[in-house]
Amino acid sequence: MATVTNWIDHLSAAEVQGAVYPGVGTEGILVLVLAVIWIGWHVMADMQETSKSKAIARKRPGSNDWKSNVTDG
Amino acid sequence: MTDQLSALTTIFTEFYYWITVVLMFLIHVGFCMYEVGASRYKHHQHTLMKNTMLIPLVTVTWFLFGWWIYWAFPTGPGLAPSIMNESAALITDESAFSAAWYLPTSDLMGTNLNDHISGVFWAAFLLFSWTAASIVSGAVIERITTFAFGILAIAIGSVFWTIDAAWGWHFDGWMLKILGYHDAYASGVIHAIAGGFALGVLAVLGPRIGKFSSSGEPRNIGPRNPWLVTIGLFLIYTGFWGFYAACNIPIFDLGPEYGMEGVTFWTATNIYVTPTTLGGITMNFLMSLSGGLLAGYIVAKGDPFWTYSSGLAGIICASAGNDLYHPIQSFVIAMVGVWVAYNLHYWVERKFKIDDAVGAVAVHGYAGVAGLIICGFVLNGYPSSGYSVGAMWVGTDYAPINPLGMFIGAIIMFGVLGFLPGWILAKILHGMGKLRIPREVELAGLDYTIMEDAKSDERSVASSSR
Repeated sequence: MATVTNWIDHLSAAEVQGAVYPGVGTEGILVLVLAVIWIGWHVMADMQETSKSKAIARKRPGSNDWKSNVTDG
Repeated sequence: MTDQLSALTTIFTEFYYWITVVLMFLIHVGFCMYEVGASRYKHHQHTLMKNTMLIPLVTVTWFLFGWWIYWAFPTGPGLAPSIMNESAALITDESAFSAAWYLPTSDLMGTNLNDHISGVFWAAFLLFSWTAASIVSGAVIERITTFAFGILAIAIGSVFWTIDAAWGWHFDGWMLKILGYHDAYASGVIHAIAGGFALGVLAVLGPRIGKFSSSGEPRNIGPRNPWLVTIGLFLIYTGFWGFYAACNIPIFDLGPEYGMEGVTFWTATNIYVTPTTLGGITMNFLMSLSGGLLAGYIVAKGDPFWTYSSGLAGIICASAGNDLYHPIQSFVIAMVGVWVAYNLHYWVERKFKIDDAVGAVAVHGYAGVAGLIICGFVLNGYPSSGYSVGAMWVGTDYAPINPLGMFIGAIIMFGVLGFLPGWILAKILHGMGKLRIPREVELAGLDYTIMEDAKSDERSVASSSR
């Protein structure tokens, strides 16, 4: 996984390789992971938000009921 | 970096942009404070989370495709050939500033010892993207779903603003070449587009319950915490300094860049690589802020909310030409922008029943459009690019800055890339039933459950003896 194992060898090469993060060459997989997490987040966040909204809608609190829930601080 | 001068120039430039990124973070802190201050108590926490979550959402998508779009789209595609490869296609070849280097799989999109600049430049543009999305966020508070806002934030932050930046901000952009478009500090490419996008969303989203009486008269739902609003706007001003600096290239030798034989001319440049000075733009920033504040105080009859917002609107209006204006020109232009923004806000509110909760469409959209149009007259005849003298890159010429080109540019920014996509996307989300929160939730307050749980916890703690 390590791209660099010896800095002296790395920096004294005729052409220094710029990318030094672990797993150079696996960028495609990393991007796929990021895309899956991104889309997945939207799906999960939407499910949570819809469920919370439905719960409040079922209760039908009045527009001033929140005032009795203000904490003392 | 094999010699000391190039090393110093590179590391200085890297550090310069890094500082601007940190400064611009304050814009987002300011927007969060401002929105919470403007919202009502029962919506505070949701309002804060909505604006906060745009940070990761826009960042991830900016990494995946936003940055690539900026480098790929300067030609339109199909509207004007690139000065780098003389093709009007998307710039995805092997040329120096091609989008090919900024695919998310590129090895320049990470720690790379051969490239110190791409990362900080990526970050500076990302902070611009957050700003574009955050402008929309304020307008739609207290009734939009977080899901819908997330999608809209990605659309404006990682797609539409970056297309307009490629067209009107990139040194190779077709709008410079054909229209003579000039927008040094983003009156249009950030503010007009975000204001237009917000207006498009608002037209579909509708007003907050109670905003208009049954006869259609607008009611004022003023900021609930003026101190948060005040500090928020001061922080936005502060971050705006960083934004201005980030729109510049700090040190550049224009002699060889323009192909002038034997000429050396070290200077700061704007984003179009034409010369300006950090000192000059700082004077203009302060004078336009002052013009905006003074005008805002008068037109709003001393209302603090509008006076602070007018400081911002003043800077936004003068920004298109603040690289070249005289400070007094900048000052007067800011005053005009504030007058336009304030009066249009109330006219649109009454006429079209648009509920823009924080005046974002006015401060960013109308002031931005006014700034572009004014810039076309005041800077009429200036070159839109140094490359029109063309020796380094032979090829396409650039139109000079002119009133008609800037007017068309303003329509593209506000209408074509702002209002239209905002309206269409909001329509789609509305059709899916995902745009607006249920009526019961809006009345009860988005934070109802959180507050109820907190109260319940408080009671439990208060009644415990150990």
